[in-house]
Amino acid sequence: MNDRMLESLSALLDNETNELELERILTQVSGDAQLRRVWTRYNLAQHAIHRHHMAHPDWDISTRIQVALEGKQAGGASVFRQRMLRSLQSFAVAASVAATVVLGGRHLAQVSETTPYVSDRSAATSASPVGMLNSLGAAAVQASYGTQPVSALQPATRTVYKELTQQRRRLYMQEHAEQAALNSPQGLIPFARVPQIRE
Amino acid sequence: MLFGSMKNFNNFHLIALLSLLATTGAAAAVCSDTDAVALEWLDKMSKNMREVNYQGVVTLQRDDEMQVMQVSHFVDHGRSSERLTELTGQGAQVARLEHPLDCLHPGDNLLRLNEMLQEDRCGIAEQYRFSVVDDERVAGRKTLRINIQPRDIYRFGYAMFLDRETGLLLKSQTISHDHRTLETTQFAQISYTDDVPATSDVDVVHEAQHPHPESPSVNVASTRHWTIGWVPSGFSATDSSLGINGRRTYTDGLAVFSVFLENLDQQIRPGEGQVMQGGTITYTRGRHLGGQPVLVTVIGEVPLNTARMVADSVAWVQ
Repeated sequence: MNDRMLESLSALLDNETNELELERILTQVSGDAQLRRVWTRYNLAQHAIHRHHMAHPDWDISTRIQVALEGKQAGGASVFRQRMLRSLQSFAVAASVAATVVLGGRHLAQVSETTPYVSDRSAATSASPVGMLNSLGAAAVQASYGTQPVSALQPATRTVYKELTQQRRRLYMQEHAEQAALNSPQGLIPFARVPQIRE
Repeated sequence: MLFGSMKNFNNFHLIALLSLLATTGAAAAVCSDTDAVALEWLDKMSKNMREVNYQGVVTLQRDDEMQVMQVSHFVDHGRSSERLTELTGQGAQVARLEHPLDCLHPGDNLLRLNEMLQEDRCGIAEQYRFSVVDDERVAGRKTLRINIQPRDIYRFGYAMFLDRETGLLLKSQTISHDHRTLETTQFAQISYTDDVPATSDVDVVHEAQHPHPESPSVNVASTRHWTIGWVPSGFSATDSSLGINGRRTYTDGLAVFSVFLENLDQQIRPGEGQVMQGGTITYTRGRHLGGQPVLVTVIGEVPLNTARMVADSVAWVQ
């Protein structure tokens, strides 16, 4: 990895890359785990700076895909460009996976042990975020099965978990849909629940 | 005093005997309230969804969102080819081609009920109460409505509208325990024809996977074997393979949920998060499992509590 590559990544992040350069970056990044990690760091840093919503570590790249797709609809696109868009999409997913680990790790591990959950006493009286009561209207049941119930979470931790869950939803829904399509009576319709279908 | 204890003793035995009777009688009694006609229609639906040629436009409504898609299903020489093309949103296409008709998955088997009825077994009627009512037209076709109520709180209810002629599922609603409609899919238009629809311009084509139910695991991501200690009654595994992150999927014939386990290489603050969209829950739980930080995710068409209890029951195989 050289400085030029780092500059290119930075330019990509700022939407300042031309198509040829984009192709070069994608080729290199697809075969280089270290570059992917750098991309993720850059992305996170930018999110921190711009206070972007953390649910979208792949935000910028999605925007680019969107812009490119709109361009395609307007003017038609070459096979090359379509292929490039697809690798860009897979790359966005890869970046999202990498970012998730960083996110989860940093935000959930960083809070020191001296500032743990809301104190035990308040945890005992307040419900956990999802609670013992089924928010979908079912009768109350012993929700925890054989392990410690989850205590009330600090707001920051709760936010991070919300983001982690959103990311897992995007990551895993397609694999779940593959199984649901084969094992429930609706044919391929479960795939319509997948936020972004990947090839 | 002695008489009193004897009496208690007898009562105890009587209760034990009664509960024994209740348990043994339960299998026969529990599904006697089920409409046999409903089960026959379900059986017909399950078969015809696989064997009839059709194409049409389907809408999926959940929360405030509506998606529109084109679906087609054709059978040729004992093999089916089906396609779903999104007409809104991403515009992706999913295709499953050359799927042998005799290739049945666990979900199919749970709905093929004629055999069970003949053998006087309850099958899926142990988990749901079925009843048939006449109902309105869907996509211009006369339908019959099957009300499906869960017998416990671990799954949702459904209203299924079947074509009176073909038995095809034309409309399906997922219903919560407080009687809210969480999700509706329905045909806006359907035609039973052999004509293959013109393929629209799509950017992403995904060929649906076809993991064979019996295929051995080829892609074990987790270095340690893990197990799920609890699933609601009537759910069975859809395949024996483990996918990315060692996925496991369970179905009761109508509802499906998948469990994913990730080993984390750093400590994690225990906690949980949930996202509900329509009838689909995504539940993520950070835990320490035998000292190892892990993230368990349950995705599926089940209530939150079910997802939570399943995530709670994940354990390492000793």
